[in-house]
Amino acid sequence: MFRRKGRRMKPAAFEYERPTTLQAALNLLEDDGGKSKVIAGGQSLVPMMNFRVVRPDRLIDINRISELDYHRIEGSELVIGALCRHAVLKESELVNRACPMMHAAYDWVAHGPVRNRGTLCGNLCHADPASEMPAVVLAADSVMVLRSSKGSRTIPADQFFLGQYETATRDDEILVELRIPTASKGQGWGFHEVNVRKGDFAIVAAAATLHVAAGNVKAISIALAGLGSHAIRLTAVEKAFIGKEATDAAFREAAAACAGSIDPTSDIHGSAEYRRDLARTLIYRALCDARDRCS
Amino acid sequence: MKQIEITLKVNNKARRATVAPRLLLSDFLRRDLHLHGTHVGCEHGVCGACTVIVDNLAVRSCLMFAVQADGCEVTTVDSLGSINKLHPLQQAFWEEHGLQCGFCTPGMLMVAIELLSKNPNPTEDEVREAISGNLCRCTGYQNIVKSVMSAAKKMQAVTEAAA
Amino acid sequence: MTSHLEDHVIPASRQREKARDNLKWIGQDMKRVEDPRLLTGKGKYIDDLELPNMAYAAVLGSPHAHARVKSIDISKAQELPGVILVFTAKDAAEQTAQVASFSSPPVPQYCMAIDKIRHVGEVVAAVVAEDPYIAQDAIDLIEIQYEPLPPNVDPEKAIHATGDAVLHPERGPTNCAYDQEFKFGPVDEDFAKADVIVRRKVKWSRSGAQPIETVGAIAEFDEGTGRFTCYANTSFYNVVNFVLAGALKVPPTHLKIIPTIAGGSFGSKIFTHKHVALTCALARAAGRPVKYIQDRIDNFLNCDAHGSDRIYDAELALKHDGTMISLRFRVIDDYGAYFQFGVGHHGNAMAQVTGPYRINSFGMHLIAALTNKCQQGAYRGFGSEVTNFLIERMVDAAADQLDMDPVELRRKNLIQPHEFPYVIPTGNVYDSGNYQAVLDKALELVGYDEWKRKQGAARTAGKCIGIGVATCQERSVYSPTEWWSLNPLSSPGFALTSVPEGISLRIDSSGKIFAQLNAPFWGNSPETVVTQILAEQFTVDPSDIMIGYADSDSGFNGFGPGGSRYTVMVTGAIVTASGKLKQKLKKLAGHLLEANEADLEFRDGAVGTKGVPGMEKTIAELALMGNFFRMSFPDDPDFDSGLETTAVYDHPLSSQPHPERKHLGIFYPIMGHMCHVAVVEVDPETGKVEIIDYVAVHDAGTMVNPQTLGGHIRGGTANGIGTALFEEYKYDSNGQFLNANFADYGLPTVAEMPKDLKIGHLETPSPYTEYGIKGGGEGGRMGAPSAIARAVEDALKPFGVRIDCVPIPPDKVRELVRTAQSQPIRSA
Repeated sequence: MFRRKGRRMKPAAFEYERPTTLQAALNLLEDDGGKSKVIAGGQSLVPMMNFRVVRPDRLIDINRISELDYHRIEGSELVIGALCRHAVLKESELVNRACPMMHAAYDWVAHGPVRNRGTLCGNLCHADPASEMPAVVLAADSVMVLRSSKGSRTIPADQFFLGQYETATRDDEILVELRIPTASKGQGWGFHEVNVRKGDFAIVAAAATLHVAAGNVKAISIALAGLGSHAIRLTAVEKAFIGKEATDAAFREAAAACAGSIDPTSDIHGSAEYRRDLARTLIYRALCDARDRCS
Repeated sequence: MKQIEITLKVNNKARRATVAPRLLLSDFLRRDLHLHGTHVGCEHGVCGACTVIVDNLAVRSCLMFAVQADGCEVTTVDSLGSINKLHPLQQAFWEEHGLQCGFCTPGMLMVAIELLSKNPNPTEDEVREAISGNLCRCTGYQNIVKSVMSAAKKMQAVTEAAA
Repeated sequence: MTSHLEDHVIPASRQREKARDNLKWIGQDMKRVEDPRLLTGKGKYIDDLELPNMAYAAVLGSPHAHARVKSIDISKAQELPGVILVFTAKDAAEQTAQVASFSSPPVPQYCMAIDKIRHVGEVVAAVVAEDPYIAQDAIDLIEIQYEPLPPNVDPEKAIHATGDAVLHPERGPTNCAYDQEFKFGPVDEDFAKADVIVRRKVKWSRSGAQPIETVGAIAEFDEGTGRFTCYANTSFYNVVNFVLAGALKVPPTHLKIIPTIAGGSFGSKIFTHKHVALTCALARAAGRPVKYIQDRIDNFLNCDAHGSDRIYDAELALKHDGTMISLRFRVIDDYGAYFQFGVGHHGNAMAQVTGPYRINSFGMHLIAALTNKCQQGAYRGFGSEVTNFLIERMVDAAADQLDMDPVELRRKNLIQPHEFPYVIPTGNVYDSGNYQAVLDKALELVGYDEWKRKQGAARTAGKCIGIGVATCQERSVYSPTEWWSLNPLSSPGFALTSVPEGISLRIDSSGKIFAQLNAPFWGNSPETVVTQILAEQFTVDPSDIMIGYADSDSGFNGFGPGGSRYTVMVTGAIVTASGKLKQKLKKLAGHLLEANEADLEFRDGAVGTKGVPGMEKTIAELALMGNFFRMSFPDDPDFDSGLETTAVYDHPLSSQPHPERKHLGIFYPIMGHMCHVAVVEVDPETGKVEIIDYVAVHDAGTMVNPQTLGGHIRGGTANGIGTALFEEYKYDSNGQFLNANFADYGLPTVAEMPKDLKIGHLETPSPYTEYGIKGGGEGGRMGAPSAIARAVEDALKPFGVRIDCVPIPPDKVRELVRTAQSQPIRSA
């Protein structure tokens, strides 16, 4: 996150807008050419601005757009608005029931004061490669709702995360909502992470869901974070395991296949080899937990 | 660049100022309002020494711009107590040796205030969770946990006595 | 005694106050005097101070590890509104001189890079502006062209570098700053007759103090007097101020340093000469007071306080039955780009290099390498925590090799209580101790036998639980010979032999006692400790005492905190000073009470006749009389007005090194001791280590305040846990410092600490210090890395893993497991 040559402190100067409606915010982004940055919680953005690694010409502060601050069940989906804070989601019974994997993963996300201001949607847009929630929303088959002044579109999570700090959000768009299919009856989940200290970003995090019927895998999702570029779904491996018996041995094989298919990077917290090794271990553990949770 | 006029309440006093958008809340409190209790340890949101309360939530003031605090209520350690009338939390830190150099202490006090306002009877694990985002290099943390637990008991006793 | 110590003499004790039980204030868990202002946010740290018309400095740190500046264009920066001054190497070369270096021959250093840049983050230019944000904007506008030079990052390679890769060609054509061998006792003979030689390569990676407050200064240059006034969170201002004045090209009388309290130091603020010099130079050039507070990244890159960075090739010689005979090693230490303390960190380590064990001889080959990294400074242990780790690794290795229980092997070799004062092969002395009692207490406190049983059950269930026991020394109260005694005999450098601590005391006319300290507050508890000693001496209440901090104009002879010395040394000065004042008070009282001075005693803040209650005068009454009523007393100089005095206390037990360095004399004899027991659970598949139980029992002699001492044990243990498991300053092959921030550098949070770290105390008073106090400020960091390393090694015993390095973060532990798994299990 802080790998760069030369450095400054204190943010560079910027213009500041604080629209009170979503439409006003979107109008500001129209024809902006990427000069502005939207700020909600700012817990990832402001450190980068403090180091002058990011220098927006203008900040569009959406914190007063109260219409974006919600999370609720709509039909068979848990929908989360752009301004919904991590802290609210972590404590939410709705989330615990609708996406228990997210609830569990929140134990690993940052610290209290960061969660007080940080937003889930902001975190997803920031797309830190080592952040936990991208893996969770990927494993949960989430859908992103993006809006611009011209209209709205949806993107499945596995097309949203494109690279290190890079998402499919266009310069004139705001991620206004996240839609997560509520965990179906009988679905199990698992989440495992290794980091250096509590609250640190993941070295590797694995999120998995499983649906087992008559001892066989009916549905499976596996996602990883911490690989260096962006969080990914292991779709190829998933496909190969539909219909297989949900045994420890099968899970070991699946985990090994995942590990073989990824291309992690090396950094100060571990080599590519270590990450590959961790991925195998954590996916295995997540799948075992998911199976145990299938009711 | 255009300066922005802000009005906010700081330690229960109404304040008005005209600030550059990029002025961090931590710098605004310390330099513009001369409230030096809030400390700056890293300016990248990790050490927690700059923690203040904004609208009843503990936040890292180095990760917020002063302009974002417009219309908010900010509480800093400077209003917690005085040397002749320490807040029970400060008194507990004093008794349990919860500080050595004192630099991380304001941040610890503010996250403890937030915790106790939401959860007056926390477990040790809950206290540890609450302070896990604040770095201390001096104490090894255990006396800080002890201080918060001791304060919680005393404050509960006062609440019960008053009830 | 072996022949190399035949001239070694232990001077007699100069103790005046014996250790004893009937003390009122010493030994109390008194609440700290410092705390109320710290708790209410009124501490007045350096960044809290605001001077009228003050401007702000920011610096441009080099992005290159080794480079020359080809060109620098500051015009755009100068033109930015709000910028007062842009200061470059040219200005520094004209307006400043070298800052102090204690190495011999010295390695020249200036307040910023002048002829070339020697590490990433070294200051290349500085800006003074109306506002810190504008100062950073100006930094942005400075345009520099660099000519990169070959970076040195591997010490073994650096010492063979030539040409452009040499950091200080003016000092010699090599990056090898030091290469010498020492033998203390018959090392070769002892190794020749050994039954078993245990060999290990042990690596200790660099880390550092990273207190939550960085280094800061506010300087003002008075054009009316030509004097600097500088507020700073630094130390040593009452001993080497004159040297700092020289760096600013002003006479020694023209620099006044006023200390502010420091938000932690752990050694890193002991002598922030570069920072103070730059801030002063900027203030003078700008014609305004200037505040320069290091930002956190600066503090990583440019603090001049990195910790030891060593590789040991070590051998321990033993008999078949586990009796230790001799220890020797080759060590190469990566010192970074400068050499401010020379190999003082190794001189320090010589105080206790053979640990708490009876070892007959010791040999060392020491190499110091200069590389393109920030230089080493002082960090909690000052190099001794590293040799503690080294000897404990060797002892555990010996236990494994001999198939002996590691606790029993230690017991067999621990110095016995009756053997003190004990002279170790290097010549240093251990004044007192009872290592067996400390060990027993620690084992009992942790429930060692129960944990062994649980470990067995856990192993059966496939869980990796490990127990590590470390018995380590904590030397305290250094003599400065350690800084130079290892210097080449041909260039010993400044062979300093004084390391005093002074205090000034006065009693005002209302009877209140005022003390001025010559040393700063770091988070140690100087005001509290001094208050307790004074209360004890004068039988007054702590509320009758006021402590202040002298600046460099009024201060004197104060080396301050560091090397676990302050409490012992200031107590010595207090005993002298209060002795003088008490004598005068007795004189005054004797006259007023018409009593014999020998019949008088101090009781409850009064001076009275022994055995005659009521026949007394309060200190307040005596002070009033003594200050205002000269003519009520005899015409004898003893009754001159006033109740004020100063005192300087020298090291209580030290001697010179042997002229040929057959031994190093006595230089760090006030010897504390600790036993740490760590219990860990390791996940061998991920490499994660969890500390599930931890005990630290310390013997720091007579305790003045057990609660504050306990604080050092706990805080020091936290530092040690960080050192063992998480903390490393990582430089890549280009000399880029990869994790110079709090997100990527692993200072432990509360979650990494054991939930219930149990501490225990034992007191074997020193026969040499006042009240038998020993220093304990470096605390748990001296023992934790050894206990943790052994615990992890023990947990992974089924895999045959050896831990020979710190830190051991998850990826390292996992790598060790995988490597061991790919090899057959080593036989013991």
